[in-house]
Amino acid sequence: MGKSMKKYFPVFVLPTLIAFTIGFIVPFIMGVYLSFCKFTTVTDAKFVGLSNYVKAFTEDGTFLHAFWYTAAFTVMSVLLINVLAFAVAMLLTKKIKGTNIFRTVFFMPNLIGGIILGYVWQLLLNGILMQFNRTLTYSSTYGFWGLVILMCWQQIGYMMIIYIAGIQNIPGDLIEAAKIDGANGKQLLKDVIIPMVMPSITICTFLTLTNSFKLFDQNLALTNGEPSNMSEMLALNIFNTFYGRTGWEGVGQAKAVIFFILVALIAIVQNRLTRSKEVQQ
Amino acid sequence: MKMKKITALSLAAVMAASMVPAVPAMAAEAEGSVYYLNFKPEQADQWVALAEKYTEETGVPVVVQTAASGTYESTLKSEMAKDEVPTLFQVNGPVGLASWNDYCYDLKDSEIFKNLTSEDFALKDESGKVAGIAYVIETYGIIYNKALLNAYCETEGAVIKSADEITSFDTLKAVADDIQAKKDDLGIVGAFTSAGFDSSSDWRFKTHLANLPIYYEYLADGISSTDAIKGTYLDNFKNIFDLYITDATCEPTLLSSKTGEDANAEFSLGEAVFYQNGTWAYNDIKENEVADEDLGMLPIYIGVEGEENQGLCTGSENYWCVNSKADEADIQATLDFLTWVITSDEGRTSLSKDMGFVTPFKTFDENYASANPLDAASNEYIAAGKTPVAWNFTTMPSEEWKNQVGSAMLEYAQGTGEWDAVKTAFVDGWAKEYAAAHAE
Amino acid sequence: MTKKLKHSGAWTVLFSILSVAYIFPIALVLINSFKKKAYISRKPFAIPTDKMYVQFQNYINGIEKTKFFEVFGWTLFITVFSVAAILLCTSMCAWYINRVINAATRTIYYMCLFSMVVPFQMVMFTLSKIANMLKLNTPWGLIIIYLGYGAGLAVFMFSGFVKSIPLEIEEAAMIDGCTPIQTFFSVVLPIMKPTCVTVAILETMWIWNDYLLPYLVLDIKKYKTISIAIQYLRGGYGAIDMGAMMGVLVLSIIPIVIFYLCCQKYIIEGVVAGAVKG
Repeated sequence: MGKSMKKYFPVFVLPTLIAFTIGFIVPFIMGVYLSFCKFTTVTDAKFVGLSNYVKAFTEDGTFLHAFWYTAAFTVMSVLLINVLAFAVAMLLTKKIKGTNIFRTVFFMPNLIGGIILGYVWQLLLNGILMQFNRTLTYSSTYGFWGLVILMCWQQIGYMMIIYIAGIQNIPGDLIEAAKIDGANGKQLLKDVIIPMVMPSITICTFLTLTNSFKLFDQNLALTNGEPSNMSEMLALNIFNTFYGRTGWEGVGQAKAVIFFILVALIAIVQNRLTRSKEVQQ
Repeated sequence: MKMKKITALSLAAVMAASMVPAVPAMAAEAEGSVYYLNFKPEQADQWVALAEKYTEETGVPVVVQTAASGTYESTLKSEMAKDEVPTLFQVNGPVGLASWNDYCYDLKDSEIFKNLTSEDFALKDESGKVAGIAYVIETYGIIYNKALLNAYCETEGAVIKSADEITSFDTLKAVADDIQAKKDDLGIVGAFTSAGFDSSSDWRFKTHLANLPIYYEYLADGISSTDAIKGTYLDNFKNIFDLYITDATCEPTLLSSKTGEDANAEFSLGEAVFYQNGTWAYNDIKENEVADEDLGMLPIYIGVEGEENQGLCTGSENYWCVNSKADEADIQATLDFLTWVITSDEGRTSLSKDMGFVTPFKTFDENYASANPLDAASNEYIAAGKTPVAWNFTTMPSEEWKNQVGSAMLEYAQGTGEWDAVKTAFVDGWAKEYAAAHAE
Repeated sequence: MTKKLKHSGAWTVLFSILSVAYIFPIALVLINSFKKKAYISRKPFAIPTDKMYVQFQNYINGIEKTKFFEVFGWTLFITVFSVAAILLCTSMCAWYINRVINAATRTIYYMCLFSMVVPFQMVMFTLSKIANMLKLNTPWGLIIIYLGYGAGLAVFMFSGFVKSIPLEIEEAAMIDGCTPIQTFFSVVLPIMKPTCVTVAILETMWIWNDYLLPYLVLDIKKYKTISIAIQYLRGGYGAIDMGAMMGVLVLSIIPIVIFYLCCQKYIIEGVVAGAVKG
């Protein structure tokens, strides 16, 4: 079968391959190269070795701050989103009237884009904070919690749906058997349900982790890094370095490479963890 | 009324004419084309309309694109890297010129240069090349609501009897403090509009207000630019800024989110008496609750000796530059377009009436005087022999410097930072940014 | 038994309150969209009455300022055709590289896998430059960019499914004299339908709401998407028209909600399927 198909390569693969080359491969390779260059456009690149990387850490204090801010945000939102989504999923799989409507409502914010959501929440949060003579951009703490609340609101529904699917996949007799054996609610949750929905937990953790770490649109719309770049997360920091300061394009690209390596590391670690779980089962 | 009819008629005629046979002819005739990257969003629509008129008349395509607030540099950068580069762009002064000089066509033989009322309005590089031409002269100061200020003068124990008596910082402060104390009687929210630090408003302080200490320092030292600012007048700077944030319509802790629109709304709805802004703000103020004849402008006094002779801050940060790296034909087309803009009736009417500009060109006689009451205020000060304050903020070393000063000012205002941080950003930041900008 | 029922009633009440709270931010925008712009940021919780009420003025301003219908049209155009292109091209590609296994196809597969972990900031500058050089800075060109940048995830998901299709079915079709193209369209594609739905939903959610990629790639002088238009409203020197902003926000949310309510079942199933495989 392989042989007769082989000559169809241009029909089946070529369109995707060409687009993929334009849309990913070439930009990626050029991006890596440019991170070692000083440039304002692609054509005037001058090789400068590692100095962009050095500059990113030494001369620009915002990058490290953005890293820690992003890390703290990611930990917070991963925990909150998953715990809350799981709790809601547990409750909504019980026989409660109106479950379907609740699911519909909780899932909806997912479909709305980050820029729109950012402005929706800016109005609401600034309105509330105004009662206390504060605003979202008063200090990075307000921006931080604003972003966490916004992310929870947007993502809980999505994760909830995945958890519900996981919980519904648990065979009913398994729970019955555990109950007959005299397991109480807590034991049931800890020893039966959580192990059984472990795959869902891994997926959701991974999704929330990467979503939070790479967050850009919401950050741009809600606080735009104010005040003084203090509520700037990594993705926005890279964008601002690139397009906001003349002569710093190379540094922006170097930051992007570091950012890529971080994201890749998260993905690899995650992948390893999932694999080792699969072996056990 | 008649005017309107004629314009409407001619517009209709032009539109009808353009629809059918003109199209192929246009394509054949047009050799060069113009792409203008405009800096001023307030006049974006007027430029587009003017460009369309020019195209109707000559067949030369003119595209006008306006960058959003605060993004001109980055938009210019990304547009310059593209295939269809802007043929006409803007720099804000010597500092902007430093990054774009390679792209600036020498305008010494151009009509726009020859028609300047003074060569001071041309921006020259070190070799004497005419790199940019100012096309609009603007003025800023403390815009005030005459009706409200007069109402205050009527109150018991008013510090002054008329606005003319405000000729120093001390009087200004006394008046503002008193107005703030009597705000409920006057039916207002505060003396000054909110000093918002949203990006749509922070330039009023980190750039325009910060110009004053720089201006006086340059004046005292007899220089016109420097690689290291001393900050001699930073205490005065603090005084005026304190005044803005204490005698204001809102708590200082809210400033970080206050926008230009907010300040504008407060002033134009008559909730505040004073509003630091410039002639360009007229478009946003008019047709609200403050009548045109109630608009006045005061100099920004900061408590320096001899300031009773200080005028308003007048200058330009809008210089036209023609892209020397564009095609020959496009450069020529651009120069022709600019000549048309400052010599034709349409161009002159559009600039002076629709856009409300005061221009530095000889071709604008009294028939093309600006309809802007704030320009009138500025003329009064010049007529009274007051010295206009130069726009030295065009020598600020970088955008980054402004941002750092702005952030420090905000932190100080809302109480999360000290004034010392402003000083550091102002003085040390200047030396650092200047060195960075001139490193190569 | 009655105790349990009461219990469930309490939960229903609690969740009803939560649901209302969940919708509140959007309702707030809706309320403010009828308020005079000068009052929005200062009195966000006030109900727009007499002096503050402006009828549909904010909507009219917003539509004019953003050219909303044009922008909406381009967003729809870009999303529909990009998703169509992704579905067609990547499903074909995925089938091929899983049936003809050699060094080249393996490399393509791993490259796709690799592209999934690369954040957009890594390629944003170079991608926009290349798009511009190749004159792909139009909505039509953007489709190619989306096909390229979105290929990774789609190829990966289709590959996962192709591996589970028994070879016998395809071989039977081939023996009947079908060319690979006929086989693909008459046999393989129909089997892949559920995966198509999943991929379509995930890619639609991404492309419709995407901001940075179209912002950097498109020729913004001529074309904008909804996200770009909204961010642009925030621009203007000294003026953020909060009224227009509220109007446009509402106009952007309504179609999404309608679409969601119509296709809810598919969307939720698609998300679950996508998550399990991804």
